[in-house]
Amino acid sequence: MEEQLKIDFEKLLENSNFSKKNVEIKRKNFNDFIEKGFPNRREENWKFSDLNQIISKNIKNLSFYHDLSKPNKIDQSIFIDSLEHNKLVFVNGRIEKIEFDYEEKNKIQILDDLVLEKPNNANNSLLFLNNAFVSKYFKLIVKKNYSLLKPLVIYNITNKDLVSKSVNLKVDILLEENSSLKLIELSNDKSTTNFININYNFDVQKNSILKNYKIDNNSNSNVKYCFNNINQDTNSVSEIFLLSSGSEFIKNEINCNLNGKYASAFVNGIFNLNETKHHEIKTNINHIVENTKSYQLIKGVLEDKSKAVYQGKIFVESKAQKTDGYQLSKAILLNDNTEFNAKPELEIYADDVKCSHGSASGSLNEDSIFYLMSRGLNYQEAKKLLINGFLLDVVEKITDTEIKNLIKNIINL
Amino acid sequence: MREKQIDQLKDYKYGFTTDIESIKAPKGLNKEVIKFISNAKKEPKWMFDWRMKAFERLKNLKEPNWQKPKYPKINYQDIYYYSAPKGTGEKPKSIDELDPKLLETYKKLGIPLQEQQRLNGIAVDAVFDSVSVATTFKDKLNEVGVIFCSISEAIQKHPELVKKYLGSVIPLTDHYFATLNSAVFTDGSFVYIPPGVRCPMELSTYFRINASQTGQFERTLIIADKGSYVSYLEGCTAPMRDENQLHAANVELVALDNAEIKYSTVQNWYPGDDNGKGGIYNFVTKRGLCKGINSKISWTQVETGSAITWKYPSCVLQGDNSIGEFYSIAITNNYQKADTGTKMIHLGKNTKSKIISKGISAGFSDMTYRGLVEISSKAKNSRNYTQCDSLLMGNKCGAHTVPYIKNKNPESNIAHEATTSKISEEQLHYCQQRGLNPEEAVGLIVNGFCKEVLQQLPMEFAVEAQKLVGISLEGSVG
Amino acid sequence: MLKIKNLKADIDSKSILNNFNLQIKPGEVHAIMGPNGSGKSTLSNILSGKKGYDVSGEILFENKNLFELEIEERAHKGIFLAFQYPLEIPGVNTNIFLKTSLNAIRKARGEKELDAIEFLKLVKLKAKELKFDEEILNRQLNVGFSGGEKKKNEILQMSILNPKLSILDETDSGLDIDALKIVADGVNSLRKKDNSFLIITHYQRLLDYIKPDYVHVLMEGKIIKSGGPELALELENKGYENFN
Repeated sequence: MEEQLKIDFEKLLENSNFSKKNVEIKRKNFNDFIEKGFPNRREENWKFSDLNQIISKNIKNLSFYHDLSKPNKIDQSIFIDSLEHNKLVFVNGRIEKIEFDYEEKNKIQILDDLVLEKPNNANNSLLFLNNAFVSKYFKLIVKKNYSLLKPLVIYNITNKDLVSKSVNLKVDILLEENSSLKLIELSNDKSTTNFININYNFDVQKNSILKNYKIDNNSNSNVKYCFNNINQDTNSVSEIFLLSSGSEFIKNEINCNLNGKYASAFVNGIFNLNETKHHEIKTNINHIVENTKSYQLIKGVLEDKSKAVYQGKIFVESKAQKTDGYQLSKAILLNDNTEFNAKPELEIYADDVKCSHGSASGSLNEDSIFYLMSRGLNYQEAKKLLINGFLLDVVEKITDTEIKNLIKNIINL
Repeated sequence: MREKQIDQLKDYKYGFTTDIESIKAPKGLNKEVIKFISNAKKEPKWMFDWRMKAFERLKNLKEPNWQKPKYPKINYQDIYYYSAPKGTGEKPKSIDELDPKLLETYKKLGIPLQEQQRLNGIAVDAVFDSVSVATTFKDKLNEVGVIFCSISEAIQKHPELVKKYLGSVIPLTDHYFATLNSAVFTDGSFVYIPPGVRCPMELSTYFRINASQTGQFERTLIIADKGSYVSYLEGCTAPMRDENQLHAANVELVALDNAEIKYSTVQNWYPGDDNGKGGIYNFVTKRGLCKGINSKISWTQVETGSAITWKYPSCVLQGDNSIGEFYSIAITNNYQKADTGTKMIHLGKNTKSKIISKGISAGFSDMTYRGLVEISSKAKNSRNYTQCDSLLMGNKCGAHTVPYIKNKNPESNIAHEATTSKISEEQLHYCQQRGLNPEEAVGLIVNGFCKEVLQQLPMEFAVEAQKLVGISLEGSVG
Repeated sequence: MLKIKNLKADIDSKSILNNFNLQIKPGEVHAIMGPNGSGKSTLSNILSGKKGYDVSGEILFENKNLFELEIEERAHKGIFLAFQYPLEIPGVNTNIFLKTSLNAIRKARGEKELDAIEFLKLVKLKAKELKFDEEILNRQLNVGFSGGEKKKNEILQMSILNPKLSILDETDSGLDIDALKIVADGVNSLRKKDNSFLIITHYQRLLDYIKPDYVHVLMEGKIIKSGGPELALELENKGYENFN
């Protein structure tokens, strides 16, 4: 693979016109990636999901360069029509549309020729890979005191032309003071066996609100990694919802730093998996200063031979007194060959805190099924009803009614 | 060699040294030392070969480094692997022949060995540095067929049992410290409970490290044959020294059909001084195999001592319907560090496990609970319940909870709960208003916090453990 | 027995008590009544030694300066506070708590500590006197107790510890009439010529059952009026609003 990487990297530099500074940074990151390679299970973070193995099992002849010079057609049928929204459309990793029809133009700014920065996590080789190969690095800025009137949907579309490629996206989002953004990321894949590596950086400044809904629901054979770094200032709120369902493999990693007092973070997620899908959610919530709050609720329903992993960590600095941290993960295993792994972790250095976590996994409650069947439902109906009830709990946490209904529709709740 | 004594004996009351002449193997880890140990124990050739196999394997192993408490590199060539009080080469026939200094030592530790002073209902095997110096109540146990002796004696007298079970739960190749122990273990206890026998008294081993620059590598093997029951307790202390000493023990338990083993530990190795100098590195491998159907193994531990505690008493639930339990109190104060917990590996059907862990950190200390619960795809209808609670005292210490939960069976359930809390000002105020001083109040509240675990200890030790919980936290309030 | 002179108490530079004066003689029962926020609970907290207040002035208990004594030393000297919100302490058996507490106080006074049997005898006796169900003593301290049970438990502790000065901080709040009677009976049975009581309350109704010798009205951190039991009735009729 190393040979291929080198050839593809040179090809990328040749066919792009990166600034000198960026080329330099890219080379450095490229070398760092070559040195570390894809992560494997010997790394604690990847203990339950050996990416190196998953890639070699699922993707034949992975290559790292593909031509982004020609525009792609957008399949309009993918657009959400029940909801008025702004759009950012990526097809096969190429930006095809930027549309903020509902917003005041001078309140939103998009930059696309940024100087790359060193990844903030020195151990994460996938961030090196992303920096080395990403073709454009975008930044969206929401200006001070502005709340977007309509949600923004980032469409991540891949089409049939894309096969066994490594695709990298990097987007920074800055919410200036007193601003707010509802962001839906919707992926739609008709491509086969690609490795899609997305890196988001959110900077949520004072009194700002970020609502981020990540929807991966259509079945596909791609392997994905999405790293989200969130920095939150005083009195800011982030609400993340993950629907983890469609891809063959996806790991969503959320690293959230509560840097300002009264900042709070909510992470809610659903695994809805079948066949041989293997999904992971990994969170790191870092309570850095006092009076911050985090809440995490993850639920999974696993069928066939699927596997779900939740690694959730709450970290509390010694000066972060009065922290409130909560975390709960639950999974229902429907078949003999399913597997749920959890590592709910607490690391606490302050004494005046309220932190707890819980995790439970097991079968559907047979007594409840029996009860429902005695009221006239057949086994399948009873099962479906219980599963829906189990998942609904998470969807109900979504604070935006319109989007809540959209997601209920998507998963037929 | 001069031994440096530490003056302050106020906190750790077992910190004294017994001035007794000892026989030591030369420092260092090599074939000759292993031969020396094997010869000193008059071991048969198969035992020496077994040790050498471990030693060869060790050359290819690396010390693990994933644990949270890091420690300076240990120079394995600078340790005495064998130290025995002079005159114990031939184990005395009767306890009265023992060196009076040894008797005095154990008396001071609260474990009198002489006939007339023995603790009622508890048989004790006393291990001093590398050798077992006395075992009490042997005859009485013999009457019901219970074998309770030092492992060295068992190797000579019951080779068939030792050969069959030694290394059957913790393989030679398991990991660095377990393999090191297999190569150089010096003594420890051996217990065999024959079928259908309920051991008539508590069995107990008391470990004492006395000599300086000496590691203690004990090996304990307990076999509960079909339908038998035994309750076993170990206690440990060491003098106060400003060097770190290594204690790397292996404990293996085997429970056959319908048998039950209850293993309790009150660990009070010297924890180092208030500034974190000295203390024992307590790196121990403990594992129990529920081999038979309906078997049960229950670990209870009260860990208050040692500079670093690093251990995970585990249960492999192989027999159908078998049960594993782990009850733990771990307290760290000053600069102590602990990374402890358990593993429950469910292999058989209808297996159940329960984990109750109470961690308390004070001062500048750091405490980690690390545990694994794994239910394999064949372990139908299995259950686990885990509860881990941490209590922090002050904001210079840390509490870390790292559970690994793996469920591969849809008919099985795992439930895990964890909380972190502190003693509230209001609770303290309430207790003080009723006349308790702050340390008594903390002791009371902490004992309440630990109650579920303390209840598991045999009566005789529960009281001792309660006091220990209070003492360990002295100086942490205010 | 208790002399409070010019007591001033602030918390986070906010003044709670100001120029507060009170004197209680042995055998007397004093009631302090006041609206919410008048400083009633602050008074009981300061008497028991709770930290977090900036205080000045003087409090003498049997001619000893209270400010020089730790919380538990005050308890040893015979000050008992029946908490408005008794604390829950998980895992600690109520009996064991009481025995530890009683023996700590006895030890400090140079009296012989009671062994388990003597203690249980005493507890049985007191529980019977107060018509309490002993069963609650085998439960974890205040854990899962109803509001009434918590308050009764405070009174039982008071009767076992036999203090010189008992401070009842809104012990009547949240009690139904039956529980209120039991609490009042408990207090009345402890009234002796050397034992004094300071009853802090919002309402007059407890005073129907425990006849105080003096009633003081606390408003905005100081006593604005003192009198006999009739003052409580007057207060009840007029309300705090119109009292001034």
